[in-house]
This record gives sequence, structure tokens and C-alpha cells, in this order.
Amino acid sequence: MTLQDYRNDIQRCSRCSLCKWLPLAQIKSWRFANACPSMVWGNFHAYSAGGRMIAALSLLDGRIDYTDKLVEIVYQCQMGGACDVSCKVNRDLDPLEVMLELRAKCVEDGQVLPAHMVMIESLRSDDNVLGELKAERGKWAEDLDVKDITKEKADVLYFAGCRYSFDQDLWKIARDTIALLKMAGVDVGISGKEEACCGGRAFEIGYRGEFTKYAEHSIETWNAADVRTVVTSCSDCYGAFKFHYPRIGKKMNFEVLHITEYLDRLIKEGRLKPTKKVPLQVTYHDPCHLGRLSEPYIPWEGVERKVLGQVVIKDPPKEYRRGTNGIYEPPRDVLRSIQGLELVEMERIKEYAWCCGAGGGVMEAYPEFAQWTADERIEEAKATGAEALVTACPWCERSFRDALEHNGAKIKLYDIVELLLEAL
Amino acid sequence: MALRGNVYRILEDIVGPQNISEEPVILDTYAFQWLAETISGTKFCTRPEAVLLPGNVEEVQAIIKACNRYGIRYKAFSTGWGPWNTVEGEGVLQLDLRRMNRILEIDEKNMYAVVEPYVIGSQLQVEAMRKGLNCHLIGAGANTSILASATSMAGYGLTGIFTGYSNCNVLAVEWVLPDGEVLRLGSLGSGAGWFGGDGPGPSLRGVMRGMIGALGGLGVFTKCGVKLYPWYGPPTTPIEGIHPLDGMPIPESFRVHSLTFPSWEALADAVYRIGEAEIGYVMGRALPPGLIPALNVGSATEYAQMLQLVSTEGMMDEFKYAIQIFLGANSARELEYQERALEEILSESGGKIILMLEEQSVKNILFRHLIKSEGISRVFQLAGTFATSLGAGTSWDAAVASSKFGEQLKRKYIERGAIADDGGDLAWGGAYQHGRFGHLEEIIMYDFQDADSLKGADEYVEESAQATIEKSLGQPISIVRGMAEHFGPTSCDYHIWMRRIKKAFDPNITADPSFYIEPEQPPGK
Ligand SMILES: Cc1cc2nc3c(=O)[nH]c(=O)nc-3n(C[C@H](O)[C@H](O)[C@@H](O)COP(=O)(O)OP(=O)(O)OC[C@H]3O[C@@H](n4cnc5c(N)ncnc54)[C@H](O)[C@@H]3O)c2cc1C
Ligand code: SF4
Ligand code: SF4
Repeated sequence: MTLQDYRNDIQRCSRCSLCKWLPLAQIKSWRFANACPSMVWGNFHAYSAGGRMIAALSLLDGRIDYTDKLVEIVYQCQMGGACDVSCKVNRDLDPLEVMLELRAKCVEDGQVLPAHMVMIESLRSDDNVLGELKAERGKWAEDLDVKDITKEKADVLYFAGCRYSFDQDLWKIARDTIALLKMAGVDVGISGKEEACCGGRAFEIGYRGEFTKYAEHSIETWNAADVRTVVTSCSDCYGAFKFHYPRIGKKMNFEVLHITEYLDRLIKEGRLKPTKKVPLQVTYHDPCHLGRLSEPYIPWEGVERKVLGQVVIKDPPKEYRRGTNGIYEPPRDVLRSIQGLELVEMERIKEYAWCCGAGGGVMEAYPEFAQWTADERIEEAKATGAEALVTACPWCERSFRDALEHNGAKIKLYDIVELLLEAL
Repeated sequence: MALRGNVYRILEDIVGPQNISEEPVILDTYAFQWLAETISGTKFCTRPEAVLLPGNVEEVQAIIKACNRYGIRYKAFSTGWGPWNTVEGEGVLQLDLRRMNRILEIDEKNMYAVVEPYVIGSQLQVEAMRKGLNCHLIGAGANTSILASATSMAGYGLTGIFTGYSNCNVLAVEWVLPDGEVLRLGSLGSGAGWFGGDGPGPSLRGVMRGMIGALGGLGVFTKCGVKLYPWYGPPTTPIEGIHPLDGMPIPESFRVHSLTFPSWEALADAVYRIGEAEIGYVMGRALPPGLIPALNVGSATEYAQMLQLVSTEGMMDEFKYAIQIFLGANSARELEYQERALEEILSESGGKIILMLEEQSVKNILFRHLIKSEGISRVFQLAGTFATSLGAGTSWDAAVASSKFGEQLKRKYIERGAIADDGGDLAWGGAYQHGRFGHLEEIIMYDFQDADSLKGADEYVEESAQATIEKSLGQPISIVRGMAEHFGPTSCDYHIWMRRIKKAFDPNITADPSFYIEPEQPPGK
């Protein structure tokens, strides 16, 4: 669907501002009642999902033209979709889809950000969004004893993603992941330097052509290689596989699992036995892309029809993604399986989680905003009294690391994988 | 017309460059409003000249003084939901008060809170509940501002049987008058804190807001005290289940029922008796028949399917003369008294509990909706939008009479195919302050993108408003603009008094009067 296709829905926005807040019944305190980082950062209504819907309508209707401010409003948003969940408590609107379409239109119309161009250039030349050389892609696993899936078959393909492949600070987590899989006896392989970006970030920043190219590439390559299971520990990539890949309509003959789902399965099957105590009180940050943004895409094609006089229904009925089917329990179950470890929850969790700040091209284009968003989450984590903040995504990890470096907050940071390895 | 360079700079110096904007994209997001199409024919009302985000009372005062100096109008709002927030005419500034968002105090012992404009209902409620207290929430939803309702507009909510109406909940107020002077009302005016609205210190509650409020036409309210009430549930209120079937477990100290009666008259009598017995924490027509199917569905399509089903199976009849009631008490004996009183009222009025809605999961959903006040935007879901009509704040009997009429009138428009066929009865409201007064507004749902539907909805609202004069049904809730001109002559000429207040308080007419009252009588009136 294009932006124009959403015109009717956009006009039905009531400007209620519910997309700025957690669903009302989920609000637990004054301090952590907000759902939308962009709105708290930008303050004018335009920085909310509802505001962007109105901006889109103004643009479609020719009431406004592109300005730097409009472009900033469009891109100063992590596309984490908390707004979408809140709006849908009582409405059948798709603010997140509208914002995605608005970005695609901006790109189509040449309204792009220099920082995003850099990402896209890097994608075009080196198959990654981080401005790194393709040849360096497999380096994180150079001395690891792991199969090269481009040369030999393996039951499971581990997909590292751009961030784990190139962010040296985080290599240890990817390496720990392989270690865990091997401890469980999993026949795992990687694609090394042949791995390419999932294309998810390109989709989020509006570059549909690039996204389709990478999505097609991944699906075709893995289908052709008869890959059965893809495991990734990058939540962003996972979200792309689940939420964006189905949009191109190519059959995926493989199952995609996030590492937390897979580890949970391995623990429950008794193939991993966390027996060592890890005495630590932790709180868990739900990555947007593993939570509400990993809920599978639901295709719909149909028309609006009137019944009961003026009641507008979708024919065939349209199913809505409300974030409830994200991956929430597996990571928590992994943490619960670790003896001595105590999980305390933040106020905004699961489909209502506050974003880490990194998504939607914000980390690259508006680093200050990204860092402030992460600071907010760290404040929330500290408010639980936990000693450590745990997450399951390299983008969240990067965002929190950067924030902790500058704000000096006294809280430890872990990926789930690190804690599980410690417990084995 | 852009603000003259020096004026923009002066305003920018007051709020800082981050907090002022003349960008068309930003301005449009303030012009877009629900019901705008009934004013302008599009989704957009007038664009403000600029939007400012003042951060404190001093900034508000400086802006207003500059407006008086340079002859500029302004309109302030808190959360900004509804067309009455939009500006009229060229060159008007919009003051969005969202940076003033603090709860300044919760005085547990004296049961009041002090809030700034951008504290929403849910925020105050959860903080109050931690201390065993609750606040008055309006039916619009807990996403609206506590202060806006207390100082500036209406104030109906379904806990009103227990928590009253917003004009009696407001305590001391900090008010930047239209000339820029700061007036401190009630106990604040004598330096005695926030506990009293009417003294020791000046009481101007009637001038400040009266029954309906000045809707931005009398300056800017920057802080106020509001009453808090006992909360008989736990300090935190977990939600269980997956949306849309998520409910709030009902604490021991509450009972939740939907009641049905043999006739409007029996219902009306029972409500008076409930008020007299001083029982009830929530009471009213939260679920008129047309809203019943919305309780636990996930989309408009499901809602429509359910509506069709319940209409054809005659299930709506059960809800025809129905109300919801929650009993709440701080002791088992008090709760038992309330239950027994309710039983007696039911047996005397021929009423009964609707068994279909006694299922625990349904009651939990209802409890969430009404305690948290979060369900009303469902009325946008079916046809795209809604409008409301009748609904005078009046005696409960008169409210019932108006809803009987409303249903009749609505049927005409339903038969014409102009509005959604919700069965005809969507009279929403309740009786407040232990039944001392009440209101029932007749809601219609329609498709504003369909010219016939929009025309039909406009005509319905107009016809129902006219009928309130002819049938003495009290001032309707629907016409907000120009309402005083229209209804003043039927109600002690209150518009003349409002006009005098406007002139006395705002000699330079800087506070946008468009939804309050024009200072001069329009020609021909
Ligand atoms: C769907 C819907 C349902 C509604 N249902 C109800 C209901 O059940 N009960 C009820 O009482 N009302 C209802 N309303 C009306 C209205 O929204 C509320 O009364 C209003 O008080 C809610 O607060 P707000 O934050 O939306 O106020 P706003 O929209 O911010 O403001 C409302 C009016 O007050 C003025 N105002 C707000 N804050 C200030 C301030 N600080 N200083 C000066 N002027 C100010 C604004 O200019 C505006 O005219 C409903 C509105 C909608 C859209
Ligand atoms: S996008 Fe949804 S939640 Fe946001 S203002 Fe519009 S209707 Fe309300
Ligand atoms: S995606 Fe996130 S930042 Fe963007 S509007 Fe929604 S909640 Fe706000």
C-alpha cells in the first residue's frame, strides 16, 4: 500500500494523542508514562505519530511542501512503533505503516538525509550500513572453529548482521553465541564475508529498492542452499525477516529464530544446562525489533465497504498487528533458567517498551537524540534497583554503551548470551 | 501573514528558539482536528500564526504581555483534543502548554493534588492510587488534562456519582489573566496553599469557568489544585490478559454490575434512589446498547459484525434501559450495606442484574475501561468519527427525557442512511454528585468522508440543538461555538454577562474569543 492508500485512515486520526502515551491502563507512574521518544524530544505535536499522519496528509493535499523541518520531523523517529500499539488499543489505524510510507515517499522525492545516504552508499558498495569493507565482514569469527556455510552444509545458519560483524566491541557476544551453540551440539555454520545486510534498516529509512534487493538476495540464497533454520542474535535483523521480508511475497523455505528463542528451546530440551549460579539482579530491555516489531507481517488486500448505514468495514476483514505476538517470554525464560539471577521488570515492557534510541536511522542521523532516548531507558532500569540491564540486540547494546559512557550511570550492561554462558 | 520580525524575536527570546515555530508542517498539526470538517469542510481549521511552548508561568505571562503590547491574539490548550482548541482568524498564536507537565504536590492528608496543564488523568491517577486516593476522570479519557477539565471545559465522567463534576473539583488556581496579570484564586490568593477554591482568598469560580468553561477565551491557567477521593483498591492496578480482552482484576473492595430496568421511568427512579443512598463509585450509561458490542472486539469490522448479530438476535433489548454501577467501600460492612441497598432499590424498581455481563472476564474489562477511563475513542472506530448532541447538565429526569427524544430523532437519520445504525440509542452519561444532576448525550457515528453522511450529521446536530429550545431540554453539549448567543436568551441572558466578563477581563481582546464569546454582539442578533 502507498501513502495515498492510507489517506482515508489518516483522515480518521482523531488527534487524541494516545500515541504519545503508553496505553492508559498500562501507565504505572508519572515519570515513565510516555511511549514516544520523538514526542518528548521534539515537543511539538508534529513529532508524534499522529502528527506525522497529519504531516503526510498535508503533503498529499499540497498544503505544505518539503522543508528541512519536514524532513527532520519525518526522520527524527526511531520507527520503534510504540505509538502504533497505543493507537490500536481503540482504533484500526496503522500509524507505523503510514510513517514507513511517508519515508518511502520522501526518498522517492529525493528528500533524504546525508547521514542516511552514507549508509546507503555503504550498502551499495559493501553490503553493510556501517561504512565498513565487505572483505572484513567475517573477521569477527576468523579464528573460530565454525563451518563456512558457503562451502559446507550445516543444520543452522547463524546470521550475525552488520552490527555484530563490524562493531568490534561487540564481537565477544557473537563469539559467545557460537560457543553456546556448539556447547549444545548444534551443527552451526556462518556465511563469513559472504553474508550481506538483511536490508531492514534500508526499509526503515525509506529505501525500498535497496531493501527489496537484499531481501530477495537473502531468501534466494538460503532457499537455494537448502538452509532450514536461520538463527540471528540481532533483533533488528530478526524484525526485518519477520515484519518486512513477507512484504516482497517470496516464499521463505526456512525458519527464522532469534537466538533467545533458540537458546530457550535448547535449555528446555535439556541440551543446555545452566547450573552455575550467577547472583545478579537484572532488568530486561525488550528490543523493539524483537518485541512488537517482530510480530509477523499480515498481508491484506481488499476494499472498504459500508454496512449498517455508515459503518465502514474492511472487506475481507483486516487483521491488525498489536504487538502482542512479539518475542517476550523466551528471553525472560532464558534469564529465569539461570540460578541466582533475579529478574525485576521495568515499567514499560514487552509491547509497551521504551526504545533504546538506535532504530530507524536515528543513531546515524541524530546521535544526540539517540543518546537521550537511551539515557531515559537507563533511568528506568535504574529505578528498578537492578544491578544490570540486559538486552538481546547489538543495536540496543551499542546505544546503551554509548549512553553509559557519557552519562556515567552505575549500572552493568549485558547481552543475555553473556549471562547464559557464565551460567554453564 | 508572518509575525513581524521583531515580534517573532521577542517571543523567541521569551521561550527560546526550540520552543517557537512558524513552520507550516508544525502549524498544520495544530489546525487538524476532530470535527474540523463541520467548521471548514476539510480536516483542517485555521492555521495558527505560530506555536509556542512556554515552560512556566513567567513565560506565559511574558507572552501575554507581548500579545497585549502588539495586539496579537492567542489560544492556549493543555492536550489539545477537539476543535475548540483551534484558533480563529489570522495572526493568532497557539500556546501548547505541554512543557508544563508536573504534578507539584499530592497532599495525602488533605486529599488534594496540585498540577500543571499537561498532567494527564492517568498520570495523576496512578500517583494518587499509590497513596490510596483517586481523582475525577472525565469520559473523554484519561489522556486529557486534569487542569483543562478543572479550569476550562466541562467535566463529566462516570465516577461522577462519587467524584462530582470538574467545576466542583477545582481548588486554588494560578491564572494568567488576559492582560498578563497573575491572579491567584482561592486559598492561594491569601498565601494559604492550594486546599480551597473559594477562600480564604478570592473566589471567582463562576467567572473563571461557570458550568462549561471559557474554552481558552479568558487567559491561561497555569496551575491548579484538584480534589482527590478515596481509592479502595490496591496501590497498583495490574492488567491481565491480552488486548482487547485485557481486564483489571476487581479488588475485594469493589462490586461491578450492569443493571437493567423495565422502563426509562424505572431506571430514572432507581438512579435517584442510588444517589440518595449515597452508594456507588461508578454509575451511568457507560455502555448504551450501541456500545455493548465494542466492549471486547479488536476492530471496527468485528464491532460491526457483533452489532449486526446482537441487533438481529434481539439482545439489545436487554440493554435498553441499562446502567453500569460499581460499588466500592473501605470496609466489608460498608460494602455489604451498599450491596443491600442496591438489592432493595432493584427489587422496588423492578430492576435486575444483567447476567450476560456477570462473567468475570467481562467485568474485568469493564472495570479497566471505567476506572482507567480509556474506552471512549471507540466511538471513532465504527464510521470514522462521531458527534454528540443534547446532553444538558440538568436534572436526571430531564436528562432521561432528552435521551428519549434523541433516540427518536436519531432514527430518522438512521433510516435516511445518513448515520451509522447503532440501534438508535447511544445515550451516554450519568448522574453526578450523588444524583443531584446528570446528563445524557446522544451520540451519532458517521462517515465524514461521505458527503451525504456529513450533511446528515450536521443536520442532526442542528435539529437536535433547535429542539432543545423548543422542548426545553437544556443547553446542548454539541454547539460549542456561538453557543452563548444562541442559548443565552433562553437561559437568563447569560451571554450578556459573559460578554461583560470578557470585556472587563480582556480589554484588548487578546485571548481568542471564538469558542467563548465575541466581545461585541454580532450584527443582527
Ligand atoms: C472524544 C471526546 C470525548 C469527550 N468527552 C468528554 C466527557 O466525557 N466529559 C467532558 O467533560 N468532556 C469531554 N470532552 C470535551 C473536552 O475534551 C474535555 O472537556 C477537556 O477538558 C479535556 O481536556 P483536554 O486536555 O483535551 O483539554 P484541551 O483540549 O487542551 O482544552 C479544552 C479547552 O480548554 C481550553 N484550555 C485548556 N487548557 C487551558 C489552559 N491551561 N488555560 C486556558 N485555557 C485552556 C482550550 O483552549 C480548549 O478550548 C470530550 C472531547 C472529546 C474529543
Ligand atoms: S495516530 Fe492514533 S493515537 Fe495518535 S492521535 Fe491519531 S488516532 Fe490518536
Ligand atoms: S515510532 Fe517511536 S519515536 Fe516514532 S512516533 Fe512511534 S513511538 Fe514515537
